[in-house]
Amino acid sequence: MWLWFSKLGSPKWFYELSGKWLPWLIAAMVVFMTVGLVWGLLFLPPDYQQGFTSRILIVHVAVAGTSLAFFPLLLVSGTITLVWRMKLADMVAKNAAILGAWFSFITLATGSLWGSVMWGTWWEWTDSRLVSMLFQLFLLLGVISLRSALEDSETAAKACALLSIVGCINVVIIKYSVEWWNTLHQVSSPVSMDTQSPNGPEFWIATLIMIVAVYLFLSVSLILSTRNEILERERRSQWVQDLVSKS
Amino acid sequence: MKPHRRKKLGIIIFIAAGLSVAVGFTAFALKQNINMFYTPTQVAEGEVGSGQHFRIGGMVKTGTVLGATDSLKVNFVTTDFVSDVPIQYEGILPDLFREGQGIVAEGEMDANGVFQASRVLAKHDENFMSPEVKAALDASGASAENHSPVATN
Repeated sequence: MWLWFSKLGSPKWFYELSGKWLPWLIAAMVVFMTVGLVWGLLFLPPDYQQGFTSRILIVHVAVAGTSLAFFPLLLVSGTITLVWRMKLADMVAKNAAILGAWFSFITLATGSLWGSVMWGTWWEWTDSRLVSMLFQLFLLLGVISLRSALEDSETAAKACALLSIVGCINVVIIKYSVEWWNTLHQVSSPVSMDTQSPNGPEFWIATLIMIVAVYLFLSVSLILSTRNEILERERRSQWVQDLVSKS
Repeated sequence: MKPHRRKKLGIIIFIAAGLSVAVGFTAFALKQNINMFYTPTQVAEGEVGSGQHFRIGGMVKTGTVLGATDSLKVNFVTTDFVSDVPIQYEGILPDLFREGQGIVAEGEMDANGVFQASRVLAKHDENFMSPEVKAALDASGASAENHSPVATN
């Protein structure tokens, strides 16, 4: 277990292993994304009240759910950076923060679109779900700017790790905001196996496919950007030079 | 695990735990400030001071929507199935506004106990249904409203 763990910290080992996984992940992502988007945006039945506007939520729910995974990911990589000082953990963290900011932005944008039609407002400063999600975007932008503000890369890695660990609490607030407080945002829809009741399989199967697709997209993007990061940071090492001269 | 690493991990866990408790207490203390709206029951119990600008959230009571024919004025009653508050509003209502629907209205109480709303937003619940399922549910008497009264916390 410990051997495997320390091996994982080796950029070279990760580069080689991820190279083998990538084609499979990309293939799976294309399949799930195509099925999810075509089904969700073209064939999902209309909602009895919202009509076809509910189709926006297929994208919104999948991206929003996935965007909550970034801080837990940063918590794990940040802890590894601070305690075990693995370089790979910080490379993942750097790119996860940037990706997470984009995911948060798309969540807010798609939610705003839906809200403008259904609620009658784009944005409500008094809604704790909306504001805590915006806070996540700002926190991630904060982590990104903190890294670029600090010149020494090791100090930057430690500072970002600490901010990420502290910021993780916001995920809990986003998740439970709709239950703890009165909000305009609805609570999570409970799924139902019954085709004759609300939130039946006709709605959630397409959503589930989209969630898997977005998670695959996240994995592929993160692996690709981390591989770039590895090549850049390890450019003086022998194995990278061999790799470059071979191709 | 080496001792110095265990120590570092301990510090991180301590910071995270301490912060969670601090945020938890803050959130609990600010509960009413973070809430977006008051329920009709809270209004009836006098939790809102007079002359205060606030938001009220509840369901549009069935059979209470009265629209003027020559203007955009509309009167309706909002309820949380315990207390009712009459609301008057002039303006364009969101598409989702209808009887039995959750709404959030922003405005002030007037001297007659009528809430003068300057804005009305529609609240959507967590239930998604195709028109066929809705028709089937209505036919069997299990109306969607029974599934989700507006949050009353």
